[in-house]
Amino acid sequence: MQILSVSQFVAYLNETFKAIWDSNEVAIEGEVSNYRVSQGQWVNFDIKDEESLVSCFMVLGKLRLPIEDGMRVRLFGYPRVYPKYGKFSFNVDRVELVGEGAIKKALAALRAKLQAEGLFDPSRKRTLPRFPKRIALIASRESAAYGDFIRIVNERWSGLEIDLYHAIVQGDKAPDSVMSGIERAHKNGPYDTIVITRGGGSFDELMAFNDERLVRAIFASKIPTMVAIGHERDLSLAEEAADIRASTPTDCARRLVPDKRDVLFEIASLEQGIVAAILSQIEEGRRLIELATTGAEHWIENFRTRVASLLRLVASFDPKAVLKRGFAIITTEDGSIVSSVKSAKAGMPVSIQLRDGAIGARIEGRQAKLI
Amino acid sequence: MAKKKGDIDFAKSFTELEQIAAWFEEGEPDLEQGLKRYERASELAAGLKAKLDEAENRIKEIKDKS
Repeated sequence: MQILSVSQFVAYLNETFKAIWDSNEVAIEGEVSNYRVSQGQWVNFDIKDEESLVSCFMVLGKLRLPIEDGMRVRLFGYPRVYPKYGKFSFNVDRVELVGEGAIKKALAALRAKLQAEGLFDPSRKRTLPRFPKRIALIASRESAAYGDFIRIVNERWSGLEIDLYHAIVQGDKAPDSVMSGIERAHKNGPYDTIVITRGGGSFDELMAFNDERLVRAIFASKIPTMVAIGHERDLSLAEEAADIRASTPTDCARRLVPDKRDVLFEIASLEQGIVAAILSQIEEGRRLIELATTGAEHWIENFRTRVASLLRLVASFDPKAVLKRGFAIITTEDGSIVSSVKSAKAGMPVSIQLRDGAIGARIEGRQAKLI
Repeated sequence: MAKKKGDIDFAKSFTELEQIAAWFEEGEPDLEQGLKRYERASELAAGLKAKLDEAENRIKEIKDKS
């Protein structure tokens, strides 16, 4: 016979449980009841079916989805007797929801919680630069999503630096793998944006992008994020928390970079506008110069006209011009001009100067009246 | 990473080109300034076009060292 101390007995039980229970192969399925969280870090609840009930214990940090009483779940972990109180419980490492109804219910609860915290607030969304230079791409290198994304980016744009952070994009390891990509991108930055994408899949396959920790990591990213998961109709929490949500990997590439044909056209239009403007400036300059020259010509012409009329005026004072018009100048023998009848005496010899010469004459009489 | 010769900042050059176009649209009648800006705009447009014609996207996988 063997006698064990109480501690030895509990240790014996726990070792036995460990030896016979493979937590990767066996899970307990049942309904959650009496769910409660204590001190913000310990989760206690019961899992039960029609006949039995087991107490469960879990660390809050391991709980990825909110659970509540009445939900049907599968629990992964191991059975254990807590030495101090002798209480038997199931230590839970991982909870899986059973049935799409339960999952959707949990998802709706998580969405409401994160919404209330402001994780999807549109006012917090950042915009991306029109011409990104360097981006971090978190995707699976083997995926069609990656291929589609790269193909469309190459079709549309050039000169972009893409750093691929390969990630597992479905299953339990996906959230940590994507989060590791986000973390490493922050160390290797700067990036204009972090793009996270994967193609379509079943509801379960896309569940990784509803993981609360991943959604929070996207929300907390210092680099603007662009997330495209699945098809148009799939809306994951990760996409809702992103700065930019694209519906598919292809759509994501289109939103990320402009089409270079559009940009070339835009450059050509800008250039044409500038050429037209500079030509009109040159034309305007030429017009101003012409205007100035024509003005000077007008001035010179005016001056010329004025000078001519002055010259005419001056010329009109020339006695010779008067002679040309038929007038005569009468002078006495000593050369003084006879301008009045008073100075003319009968018999006086005079000289009459005409346009083309002078003739001698004698005064015959006089008349004190102008003809 | 060393910058290649003739490597331009696409976004910066494009913005500068847009600004020059906007300056002309405002219709400042300064021919001397205009000619200077026109010259710069031609240079920018040529650089932008060359960049789009030649450059390819560079893809590099960043391995997880941990």
